Formats: sequence, C-alpha cells, structure tokens
Amino acid sequence: MSVSVYLPDSQPGPTSASLAPSPSSLNGLRIGVLDNGKPNAEVVMIRAAEYLATRTGAIVSVITKKGPLGLSANAAIPLAPDRLELLVAECDIILTGAADCGSCTAYSVHDAIELEKHGKPTVVATTTHFEPVAKTLSTSFGAPETRLLVLPHPIGGTDERTLGAWAEAASDRLIALFTGKR
Amino acid sequence: MTTTEAGVYLPEFVELIDESPESMFAMLESRGLGDGLPMVAPTKARVEAMLAHASGESDEVLFTLQPRSGVVTRRVVAINAVMAGCAPEVFPVVLTALRALARPEINLRGVNATTHLVAPMVIVHGEVIRTAGFNSGVGAFGPGNRANATVGRAVRLIMLHVAGAKPGFGDAATHGQPAKYTFCAAENSDATPWESYPMSVGIDSPSAVTVHCGEGPHNVHDAEAAGDPALILDKIASAMTSLAQNNAPISQAEYFIILGPEHAASIAERAMTRRDVSNYLFNTARMPARVFRKHFQELAWANWMKAVADDELLPMTGDAENIRVLVSGGPGKHSLVVPSWGMTRSVTLPLEG
Repeated sequence: MSVSVYLPDSQPGPTSASLAPSPSSLNGLRIGVLDNGKPNAEVVMIRAAEYLATRTGAIVSVITKKGPLGLSANAAIPLAPDRLELLVAECDIILTGAADCGSCTAYSVHDAIELEKHGKPTVVATTTHFEPVAKTLSTSFGAPETRLLVLPHPIGGTDERTLGAWAEAASDRLIALFTGKR
Repeated sequence: MTTTEAGVYLPEFVELIDESPESMFAMLESRGLGDGLPMVAPTKARVEAMLAHASGESDEVLFTLQPRSGVVTRRVVAINAVMAGCAPEVFPVVLTALRALARPEINLRGVNATTHLVAPMVIVHGEVIRTAGFNSGVGAFGPGNRANATVGRAVRLIMLHVAGAKPGFGDAATHGQPAKYTFCAAENSDATPWESYPMSVGIDSPSAVTVHCGEGPHNVHDAEAAGDPALILDKIASAMTSLAQNNAPISQAEYFIILGPEHAASIAERAMTRRDVSNYLFNTARMPARVFRKHFQELAWANWMKAVADDELLPMTGDAENIRVLVSGGPGKHSLVVPSWGMTRSVTLPLEG
C-alpha cells in the first residue's frame, strides 16, 4: 500500500541581495584589496590588483587585512566593521579572498555581499576546488550572481612566481567580472 | 512553495510505494538527501507523535540555520527526528540542541562550511536523562543507546537537510569524521563530585542541553596514577598541547574535558574543584610563544598573548574559563579531551520543546 511521507529539507529563508551596479569602465576607479589572512591570499590578490590597474587605469587605493584596524585577519568570521567603513569610503571596486577553504569561502562570499549591498562591486578570489562551495553559498546567501574569480588550486603553498602568473592571467576575467560582462 | 504566510512553513509530502528502507533510500537519493544510513519513514502519524512532546505551534518558523538559511519549525525537526529513529520522549532535546546551534556565538555558517572536521557535540543534562533514557554511563558516546544515538543523528540530519551542510557544497570538510553521523552523550551527574555542569555556567533548570562544536574525543588513559591528580591532569594537558588543533592559533577556542568518574573522584578527593582543574590545565598545557609564532601566519590571539616574549610559555587557550569540565562515562581510568573548531563558543540552554 502506498504511503505519504514528509520531505525533510524545508526551504531556504527569504534571503535575497542584489549586486551593486557594474561600472562600464574601470579607468580611474579605486581598487581595494581585502585580505582574509589565508596563506598567499595577499600575494596573489595584490598582484592581480596591480595588473588590473595597469591594464585599465584604475588605482590600488587600499590594501587591508579584514580584522579591526587591519592588524589581523580571521577568515572564519565577518570583516570588521571599521574595515567595511574604510572600503566603502575609499574604494570603488574590491577584490577579496582567498576563498580556498570552507569557512573562509563562506565568509569571503558573505563579506562580498555586504560590500555589494553598499554599492561596491566585489570579486571573491576562489579556486577550482572551492568553486562549487562558493556557488552554493552565494545562492544560500541570496546572491547567486556573486562575482567569483576562479584561480587554480591551491593558493597556499604555491610559489610566488606561479601566483604572479595566475594573477596576470586573471586580468581579463577580473575586468569582465567588475564590469558585469560575464 | 509551501510558506503560506510570514512566519509559517508547511512541509510537502511525497508518495512512496511503501515505507520500506528501499523506498526511503530511493526517494532520498533521488533528491540528494540523507546521511547514507537507513531511515524511518516520516509519516504524518509518526510526526504527530513526536510533536505531542513539544509545546507551541508546530508550523511556526522558529529560526533559520546557516549556511543555507533553512527554515526550522517544530514539524521540520520532528520529521528529521522520526527519520533518525528518535523516540518522541527525546524530541525536546533535539529542539533545544538546534536552538543552541542557531545562536550567533556558535557561528554555524563557519562550523558547517569549514574544511575542518568539526561536528556539534550534544551533551544532555538533568532529569531528561532518566525520563527519556539517555546513557551517561558505560559507553556514553556509543554505541548501543537509542536516545544518545538518535538525538545526535537527528541533529546531523537537520544540518544536512535544513542547514545545507551537504558534503562538497555547504560542508567542505576535507575528510569528515564518524562524529558527523551522531555525537551525543549525557552528563553523569551522580558521579560528578561538583555541581552539575549547567549550574557551573549559570543555568539552573531541571534539564538542559549543551552544544560544543569541535573535534571528536581524544582519549586520555591514566591507570597508574594511584589517585594523584597531577598525574591524571598532566596527561590531559599532554593531549591538549598540540599544534594540530585549532585551539593553538585561536585563543577564544574552548576545550571540553570529559572526565571519567574514577578520574573525577581521584581529583576531587584531593579537594580540587572544577575551577582548580581548569586552572591547572591552563597552567600546564603550554608551549613556547616562539613555537606558535613559527607555525601560524595569523594568530587569533587575545592581545595579552601577542605581547608575551618569544621565550615565554603560552597556554593553549586564552582563559582558564575556556577549559570546560564535566563528568560522563562509566568505570575505568579514562577521560576525554574535545578540542574546538576555534571560531565558535559552546552554548548551554534550559530544555525547551
């Protein structure tokens, strides 16, 4: 005899967020780099921001760790309120990461959505291995279109020269992500 | 969907040809659900029997769970509790554990998403141990007791189905671990030489539930101590002192020290209090500051620790209060150390259905 059973998975709550409008050109825009302290995150993101600036005429205006006063970084909690304030005041576009683990991906995506809510197009630097996690969490947090720069894996433990090559190769993708031409 | 108005969620039904394990497996696998083990079919009658042990509206949205922001109602919890094999008497314990996991200090978004193997440990306290049949004695962490086994499993099913902690998506754990199937035990208050654990953290209630998000238990064996607390506690400190635990770079991280009754008795016979145990371990589980600094690029440390010179010894946690002590288990000269995931704090709540 057939039987009715409940489904156990309920549904996501009413979370939704819209991304900031994308600029048509990056010329003259101020780039912020928000570092979550993961090994080599700063190395690869600063290089990527510098290449992007050279290519587009943007300028790197802020490089900061995500903890209070930028003195520390903890990848498993949200960015400090004073860092949010700083980036909103002094940047037009932001690159954050590295989203190359689980909790750091969750909070990099979370931080990016917070910055997008404040009108700042923000790219999360993740890796091939963590792209599925980043996409799932972007959807869970209400912004499935979160801008993801997918780099090779791993960022931690890779030498500086290789990271530099990855950063340079990422320029086209970064321009597309920031300008919304995806 | 089935949310009819703000604050209410009505779950959907599906039809199965029968309620056999095979039919349940087929339905769950087609939807990417389940923990891989057989489940009890959540029929309306079984779910209603579970709900009879809770108070309040069955379909009221109580809170959401991260990272998916999945909505939690008593009925959603009851469905998963039925599937886990829970008897209705334990239902308020499952609900209370989930209320604890929804608290911001747990940081469930990080706990579920991390590559670390963290699993929520549920500890049951007070009268409900007896009335609902939990095991606080021999083999408290399992196997063999339905209440312990199914409460831990129900919490995990809610993490999978509602919180979105699906391996590879909302749960990036590199390996996972057995405690992610179920991780629940009861406090052995009869064998506790001090006040109950909830009382020690200011919760005065006939029954309570504690949740701590960390590693699986690390065993500590001290059979030769002849009752000398220092010999027991030094071995516990040895199990705590490790660069491999997230407690090393994160000073707010707690330890749960689960003393076996015999170790607890030996310690208390020398007039040591629970606080003395924490203080002793805080003092003993240490490494040179230089070693921590060599191994970690980022240290989420209390500011006083950052100021300590390289040659000084630093504790494995920033405050003696982070070393939480309770008694569980049966006869034998063993105790357990349960390190933390790190960016999370344990929560103890009075039992509430």
